[in-house]
Amino acid sequence: MSVFLSSLGFGLITAAVLALATVGFTMQFAVTNVLNLAYGSVMINSAFVTYFLNVHTRLNAWVALGGGVATGAIVSYLINRFIFTPFQRRNLPPITIVMVALGVDLCGTFGLQAIVGGSYFSFRQSPGRLWHFWGMYFSTLQLTIIGIAVVVLALVHWLLKYTRLGKAMRATSANMNLARNSGVRTQMVISTTWIISGALCGLAGTVFAMDTGVFDATSAQLYIVLLLAAMFLGGPGEPYGAMLGAVTIGVATEVSAGFINPQYKEVIAFVVLIGMLMFRPYGIFGKEKTL
Amino acid sequence: MSGDLSTPGQILRATGLSAGYDGRAIVHDVSIEATPGKVVSIVGPNGSGKSTLLKSLVGVVPVLGGTVNVGDADITNMTPERVATLGVGYVPQIDDVFPPLTVKENLDIGGYLLPRHEVGARIEAVLEFFPRLKTMMSRRAGKLSGGERKMLAMGRVLMLRPSVLVLDEPTANLAPLVATQLLEEYIRGFAEKGSTVLLVEQRAKAALRVSDWTCVLGGGRVVLEGPPSDLENNPIFVESFLGGGAPRR
Amino acid sequence: MNAILFYLATVIVYGSVDAMACLALNVEFGFAGLSNFGFIIFQAVGAYVAAALSMGPWQTSNGGFQQYVFGWHLPFPFPWIGAALAGGLLALPFVFLVGKRLRGDFAAVGLLVSAVLLNQLVNNYVPLFNGAAGISIVPAPFQGFFNPQGLAYQFVYGALAVVLSIAVYFILRRITESPYGRSLRAMRDNDVVADALGKNIRVQRTSIMVLGGMIAGLSGAILVGFINLWAPGAWGYAETIVLFAAIIVGGAGNHKGAVLGAILVPLGFEEITRFIPPLSNPSLIPALQWVAIGLLIILFLWFRPNGILPERRRILSGETSRSPDPVVADEASEPLINLGKIDQMDFRSLLRLEGTATQHDVVLSTNKLSRAFHGVTVVSDVSIEIQRGRLTGLIGPNGAGKSTTLAMLAGTLAPTGGTIFYEGRDVTSMPSHERARAGIIRTFQLASEFKKLTVLENLVCAIPHQSGDSFRGASRGKRYWGREDHENIERAKEMLDGFGLSQYADSYAGGLSGGQRRLVEIMRALLAEPKVLLLDEPMAGVHPNLAHKIGDQLTRLVDSGMTIAMVEHELAIMDAFCDPVIVLAEGRVLAQGTMAELRAKEEVVEAYLVG
Repeated sequence: MSVFLSSLGFGLITAAVLALATVGFTMQFAVTNVLNLAYGSVMINSAFVTYFLNVHTRLNAWVALGGGVATGAIVSYLINRFIFTPFQRRNLPPITIVMVALGVDLCGTFGLQAIVGGSYFSFRQSPGRLWHFWGMYFSTLQLTIIGIAVVVLALVHWLLKYTRLGKAMRATSANMNLARNSGVRTQMVISTTWIISGALCGLAGTVFAMDTGVFDATSAQLYIVLLLAAMFLGGPGEPYGAMLGAVTIGVATEVSAGFINPQYKEVIAFVVLIGMLMFRPYGIFGKEKTL
Repeated sequence: MSGDLSTPGQILRATGLSAGYDGRAIVHDVSIEATPGKVVSIVGPNGSGKSTLLKSLVGVVPVLGGTVNVGDADITNMTPERVATLGVGYVPQIDDVFPPLTVKENLDIGGYLLPRHEVGARIEAVLEFFPRLKTMMSRRAGKLSGGERKMLAMGRVLMLRPSVLVLDEPTANLAPLVATQLLEEYIRGFAEKGSTVLLVEQRAKAALRVSDWTCVLGGGRVVLEGPPSDLENNPIFVESFLGGGAPRR
Repeated sequence: MNAILFYLATVIVYGSVDAMACLALNVEFGFAGLSNFGFIIFQAVGAYVAAALSMGPWQTSNGGFQQYVFGWHLPFPFPWIGAALAGGLLALPFVFLVGKRLRGDFAAVGLLVSAVLLNQLVNNYVPLFNGAAGISIVPAPFQGFFNPQGLAYQFVYGALAVVLSIAVYFILRRITESPYGRSLRAMRDNDVVADALGKNIRVQRTSIMVLGGMIAGLSGAILVGFINLWAPGAWGYAETIVLFAAIIVGGAGNHKGAVLGAILVPLGFEEITRFIPPLSNPSLIPALQWVAIGLLIILFLWFRPNGILPERRRILSGETSRSPDPVVADEASEPLINLGKIDQMDFRSLLRLEGTATQHDVVLSTNKLSRAFHGVTVVSDVSIEIQRGRLTGLIGPNGAGKSTTLAMLAGTLAPTGGTIFYEGRDVTSMPSHERARAGIIRTFQLASEFKKLTVLENLVCAIPHQSGDSFRGASRGKRYWGREDHENIERAKEMLDGFGLSQYADSYAGGLSGGQRRLVEIMRALLAEPKVLLLDEPMAGVHPNLAHKIGDQLTRLVDSGMTIAMVEHELAIMDAFCDPVIVLAEGRVLAQGTMAELRAKEEVVEAYLVG
C-alpha cells in the first residue's frame, strides 16, 4: 500500500506536467490539424531560456519562468506562421507535415545542443521542505508545480468556456468555414491559439526540467511518447480529453513503475497509444476532432 | 415576437457572375438580384451549380468573373469574415452549426461581431423567434434533431442582425411538416419584416410557394426566371427537373 | 597510403549498407506509400540477430562479460540469413498498424513511437542484447580463416557488400517495374480505389513490409559483421529520419534516387564531418549534423519535393517520340473529345464478355439493407434487385442514400443491417477486393484516378488475372509476364483509341481535365472486366453531348451481356438509357419502373418538386 501511495504521489506530479504539455499539444492539433512533433524541442528550449535567465542573469525564478513561457509562445507562433501554414497551403498529405515537424524538431533540439553542449544542467534551487499527506510525500517544489498546473488548467478552462476568444477557438476547431461566415477572423484565432498553446508548451517544458532535476538538450525527446499517448487517449484535439488522458497516463506510468522495473514505465504509455491508434483513433469518447 | 429582429434589407446583386474551384467555372455568367422584403429562390436539379453560386456570393468559393454587390459595397471575392461584417448572413446546407458547442455558445458565436453588451438581448430576441430553442440552451448542437438543428443554424445567423439572408437548402433532410413551417412561417417572415432573402431550394414547388421571384439553374446557367405564377405552369420548369431533355441552354 | 585504403574500404561498406537501407525504405515509402517511421528497428534487429547467431554462448565467450540470446556460433552465411528472416518477421506485427485505414500521420506516429520504445526496451533489458552497452567483439565472417584487420579482407568485404546492394537494386527493380509494381503505386496513390479494383491491399502491404524488413535486416548484418559491435545508441529513432531525408533528397519512387540519397545524406554527412578538426565542444559537430538534416528535410520538401531524381514517368505506349508532358486540358476542350471510333470497338472481345442479353435473371440484390453513420440512418431497409443485361438507374434527391447503397453493393462500405446477394451467394461480408475479382466493379463520384500513374498505366493496372500482378509473379521476371503484359497494354491502347484519348496515353492521369478523368475511370472500370458495373454519377461534370455518347456505349455494353447499375442526377440520361429506374428518397425505395411510369407517379414528382 505504501508503495502504491508513494508512487501515486509521483504520478500526480508527472500528470500535472503532462497535462500542461498535452493541452497545448492537442490545441494545436485542434485548430490546425497538425501533429506538431517539434513540441518537445520547443519545451526544452523554453526550459533552457528559463535556466539561463534564472541561473546566469540571476533573475527571480518567477520572472525567469515568464521568460521561458514567452519563448514557447513566440517560437510556436513563428513555427506555425512561417513553416506549417505555408506547407499546409499546398494541400500536402498529413505525412509530409509530420516530416516537416520532425525536421523542425531536429533543428530545435540539436540547434540547442550546439549552443549549450552535451552536458547536463540543473536548476540550483532547493526542492524545499518535504510535505506528507496520506502516505504521499511532496517537496515544496513539487507542490508548486502541481499548484501551477491546477491554476493554469483552470484558466484554460475559463478561457475556452467563458471568453469570446475561447469560444471562437472552439468554433474554429469545430467548423472553420462556419466560424468565418459568422465573422470570426480565423487566421487571427489560429495564431492566438498557437501563442497560448506555445505558452503552455514553454511552461510545461520548464516545470518538466525542474521536476526532472537534471536535464540536457535532448531530455524532452522521449516525452513525445507520453504526450501522444495522453492526447490519443483523450481524443486528438480535445483539451478536456487531454487533461484526463494526461492524468491517466501520468498516474499509470508512475504507479506501474512502483511495481515493475521503473525503466519500463513508458511501456504503459506505449501500449495505450498503440491500442488507441488501432481501435479508437479518435479517443475513447470522441468521434472526430473538436476543441 | 420582437419586431427588432430584422434589419432594413440591402440589395444583393450578382452581375455576370462566373465561379468555381481551381479556376474551373461551375457557374457561368449568372446575374441575379435580391431586394429587401422579398424572397428570391434558386431552384434546379442536383449539380446545376446552386450551392456553388451561393458560396461564391459569400466569399467561400472564388469568383472568376463578374461582380457581387451588397448595397453600395462591392463584395466580389471578399473573405467570408468581411462579408459577414457587411450584414450578409449565410447558412450552409450541411455543417451549419458547431456540433461540440452548446446551443447558447452557437448563438454567442453568431453574435461574434456584435458589441458585447448587446449579445444577451439579441439572444433573447432570437429565442423569441425560435422559442423551442429556449429549453435546450445547454445542450450540445450535435445532439439536436434535424429540425432543431436547422432552427439553431438560422438562429445563429440571425444573431448577426443580417440585412441579407443567404440560405442553402434550409429544408434538406427535414420532415415535410417542419420544412413547410420553416419556409412559410420563418423564412417568409424574415422577408415580411424587411430582410432580403436569397434561398436555394430543392423542393421546387415549395420554393415557388414562398418566393417572389424564382431562378431556375441548369448546367451552371440561368435557364428560366420569373415570378412563381409564371413558372408554375411553364413546361420547361417541370421538364428541367423531371427530364425529357437536357436542361436548355 | 594504407590508412587511405582502409578508409576507402570502410566508406564502401557504409555506403553499401546505407544504399540497401534507402532502397528498401524507398520501396516501402516511395512505391507502396507506407510511411515506415520505425524503419531503423528492422536494421537493428538484423544486426543483433546476426551478431548473436555468430557468437558463442555468452557464458563462455570472451569471459562472459556480455549477455545475449542465441549464441549458437553459426558459420557464415547463416547469421546473415537469420538476420534477413528476423527483419521480415518483425514486420508482421507492424502490418496491423499500416494495414488499417488509419490517417497517414497517425500510423507514422505509431511506428515512430514503436521504434523509440523498442530502443528503450533493448537499452534496459540486459539479457536480450546486453542492454545499453551493446554487443561487442562480434566475429567477422570467416575470421578464423582470414585476418579481418587485413586490407585484402576489408576490400573483399566491401566488394561483397557492393555486390549484395547491387543485387538488392535489381531485385527491387524487378518487383517494382512489373505489373505488381504498378499495383503498388496504385495503392500508394489511392488505396480505396485500388481495393475496389481487386487489389488485396492488406497482402500487398504485408509483402512490402516483409520484403523491406528483410533487406533492412541484411543491411544490419553486413554492418555488424564489419564494425563488430552494435548498441542501442547506434539506432535511435532519429536514424530513420536520416534515411527519410536521404529519400526526399534523392527522389522518392526512384531507385537511383534512393542510392544517390544514401550517398549524399547518411554517408556524405558522416564522412565530411570526419575531416573537421576536433573542437573544444565535442558535441558541436554531431549536433550541427542533425540540424543540417532537419534543414535539408524542410528545404527539400519546400523547394524540390520530388527530389534530385524524381520518379520517372513510365512510357508504356512504346512511342517515346510523343511529348510526355501532360497536355494542359481545360473545360473548353471537352466538347472536342472525339468518341468517333468507339462504335467500331468490339466490346465483346476486348472485355471478354460472355452471356447474352436475352436472360434477365437477378444478378445482384439486397434484402433490407441499412446503413447508419454515427447513429444517423442514411439507408434503411432497401431491398432492390438488379437484373442481368439491363442498365438500371438509381435516382433520388440529395441525401437519398444512392451513393451509400452503391458503396455497400461494392463492399466499400459495410452495411449496418441487411444482406447482399450476388449470383445467389450471400456476399454481405465479402471484402471489396474479392467482390471486384468476382466481377462487381464500381466507379467513384469524386476524382479517383491514380494521379502519378499515366493514363495507360491506370487502365492496364485494372486488368484482372495478370500473371505479373503478384509478388511471386513479379519475381519471376519479365520473361514470365512480359508477353501477357504487352497484350494487356495493346488492349488498353485499343480502348483508349476508341475513346479518343490516345494522345494522352503517357500523360499523368492527374493532369487531365474533369471530363477526361471521368472517361479514364470508365475505361479503367471496363478493363477490370466487370460482370456487374456500378457507376456513381459517371456523367457529373461531363459535357451533355459527351454524356449522351457515353450513354450509347453503356447501352451497347448491356446488349453484349454486361449488367450495369448507375447513380445519376441528370434525369435526361435516365430517360434515354435506363430501364428500370429505382427512386430512392430519404434512404428508402420510393418507386421503381421506367422513367415514363415514374414521371406519372405522384409520390416521385412530390419527392423531387415538393419533398
